[in-house]
Amino acid sequence: MLFSEKTRTLDSILNADPVDSLFSDLLPTANNNLARHNFEVAPVKEATSFVKKWNNSCHENLKIKFNHGTTTLGFIYQGGVIVAVDSRATAGSYIASQTVKKVIEINPYLLGTMAGGAADCSFWERQLALQCRLHELRNKDRISVAAASKVLANMVYSYKGMGLSMGTMLAGWDKRGPGLYYVDNDGTRLKGKLFSVGSGSTYAYGVLDAEYDNELHDEAARELGRRAIYHAAHRDAMSGGFVSVYHVKEDGWEFVSRTDVAELHSIYKTDQFLPVS
Amino acid sequence: MFNSVMNAPPFWHNGPAPGAFYNFPGASTTPQDFRQHSQAPVTTATSIVALQYKTGVVIAGDMLGSYGSLARYRNCPRILKVNDNIILGAGGDYADFQYVKDIIEQKIIDEDCLDDGFKLKPKSLYCWLTRIMYNRRSKFDPFWNNFVVGGIQDGEPFLGTVDKLGTAYADKIICTGYGAYIAVPLLRDAVEKNPNLTKVEARQLVEKCMEVLYYRDARSFPKYQIATIDETEGAVVEGPIDVNQNWNLAHMIQ
Amino acid sequence: MSLVQPEMRPHYPDYATAPTQHHFSPYADNGGSVVAIAGDDFVVIGADTRLSAGFSIYTRDQNKLFRLSDTTVLGCSGCWCDTLTLTRILTARMQMYQQEHNKVMTTPACAQMLSTMLYYKRFFPYYISNILVGLDNEGKGCVYSYDPIGHCEKATYRAGGSAGALLQPLLDNQIGLKNMQNVGDSKLSLERALAVLKDVFISAAERDIFTGDSILINVITKDGIQDYSFQLRKD
Repeated sequence: MLFSEKTRTLDSILNADPVDSLFSDLLPTANNNLARHNFEVAPVKEATSFVKKWNNSCHENLKIKFNHGTTTLGFIYQGGVIVAVDSRATAGSYIASQTVKKVIEINPYLLGTMAGGAADCSFWERQLALQCRLHELRNKDRISVAAASKVLANMVYSYKGMGLSMGTMLAGWDKRGPGLYYVDNDGTRLKGKLFSVGSGSTYAYGVLDAEYDNELHDEAARELGRRAIYHAAHRDAMSGGFVSVYHVKEDGWEFVSRTDVAELHSIYKTDQFLPVS
Repeated sequence: MFNSVMNAPPFWHNGPAPGAFYNFPGASTTPQDFRQHSQAPVTTATSIVALQYKTGVVIAGDMLGSYGSLARYRNCPRILKVNDNIILGAGGDYADFQYVKDIIEQKIIDEDCLDDGFKLKPKSLYCWLTRIMYNRRSKFDPFWNNFVVGGIQDGEPFLGTVDKLGTAYADKIICTGYGAYIAVPLLRDAVEKNPNLTKVEARQLVEKCMEVLYYRDARSFPKYQIATIDETEGAVVEGPIDVNQNWNLAHMIQ
Repeated sequence: MSLVQPEMRPHYPDYATAPTQHHFSPYADNGGSVVAIAGDDFVVIGADTRLSAGFSIYTRDQNKLFRLSDTTVLGCSGCWCDTLTLTRILTARMQMYQQEHNKVMTTPACAQMLSTMLYYKRFFPYYISNILVGLDNEGKGCVYSYDPIGHCEKATYRAGGSAGALLQPLLDNQIGLKNMQNVGDSKLSLERALAVLKDVFISAAERDIFTGDSILINVITKDGIQDYSFQLRKD
């Protein structure tokens, strides 16, 4: 029938099965999510690379612009995990927003960060939030950061090569203590004490590596995160807006601050090296 | 782009490089290669001119089936009466038009067989056309047509159009193909001066448009059909009508 | 009667020649701009009524505001065929929600649904710039803006569409009062919001060829939705 294609898609989205298999997410089967999530793809030979062509700069007149560009960081120290991000979203050279929430509050003990495609990050981390809640209901226990990051990595791994763009960090606290993982759209998943992701990350690393110390006390650690993002926002055209800082502790995460980069600039400029005029 | 200045590798595979914009992979492929299974139009028909007047709608289109630049088929009707309250005009690929026409005609037969007194309404056909057109464009296999639907619904005249993507809109003046450039300005000007056109005036206007289009559109033909629909006289398709040609002016242009 | 599926069609070598110049693009840019401004107990959204493709104007009178409920309105611009499809599915989803839950979907719920619906077309996106407005659960005005694949952000004012990049800085200045010292945080009145909305569209019509003709405005308050229209330049 003529409308079968459309109705099938709509119908299956509306009646999407709840996940019934306990471990299905932990198994990186090729395209298992494609089947479950029932994404509509362009009916062309290389359907999965279809969108990429529309992002191609040779199609300047009709370009589908997605929001991109970021600086995010996270590090573990003696007092927990600090997560700091900027808030700018760019679509090409246009600043689509200066007020994006790049820290995604997955649950009271887990934070995710957003770098790369904004929609990809927010969709998959929302999907992750669902999986984390289901884990809690099934196991009467919170999901570990390790498991949560693996769920996310496996979900995006099944779309490998299809053009997803996501560079995220998961920060949380579980039985093992503070946890920090890096997950990207290739399915790479790395455990670490210090990460910075996004177009401004090099600048952030510069500040971070110079000042980082595991024994930092809380206020100094938060200030380090804030300062690192500020410097990235200052030097990287694709980062800016506001600097948000979160602190993950044993009893969950805490929102610390959200400061305008312009305001930080007036605070920090006094202790920057300025040539004598 | 920044890439040429800073050649640092991207942060993650396919990710952005330091200070650079994100680049989607596969950027080297050309956009053309995704039209693998969409056909090109073969035998084509040119403009449709349509106008809604005070109590009804006029739709006109010539009878030429062009084969590229060859004026190959000279008797291709493409204005039709769908039922007592709908008239339809089509431009673009003639085979696709005939195919869709067959389906519409079958719909009307099915409806008559039910004999429940229901008659397809113009807005319903218009909506249905947007769906089939969008459906096929989504399969990358479009019906290469422009459809213009005219009719009377709830005592009010209706005029709408659908293109090969499923782009649809209703307006009092609709012209496709070259008509959009040549006939629309003439019609908009006339309607602005006289918003309450009578049937006779509307017809004369459309006939004038067909004449002007014949002078300038190289894929047009001096033989056309006109369909009119209103509540008093119902749906009528007339034609073939000959363009009232006058080439006396020709020597004054270059 | 059904149409033949393309994969069932036999292969005709005559038609399988090298690709001709008619390369098919499933998208069109039909232009149009949408602007929305929210206040404490109201939200206004305006969209121009020009529907165009390239240099030709299809129609000067196309409504681009879609009423999803008594407190929710969606403004769309971009590819018109995608807009028609998306809004039709949205309307159906609104109705299904109403019948299933016996209540009308709230604006925040609707905002999330739209985000997911857009993302489900991640690999064949709707080429639409969406702005959804309404009243939240406390009756406060809210604006949600989207990218084509469903990234959603809540804001208090937003410009989108072909003149979006032209208008947003104007709103940042007039409504957001960005980067200004000693500006009082006086409450935004409906009159001021409407005046700015009109001014902003007059500016867009001046510099953007895809915006013009007239604007349709919806004002949403707890008492319902009111329509206004306003003429722009028609060249």
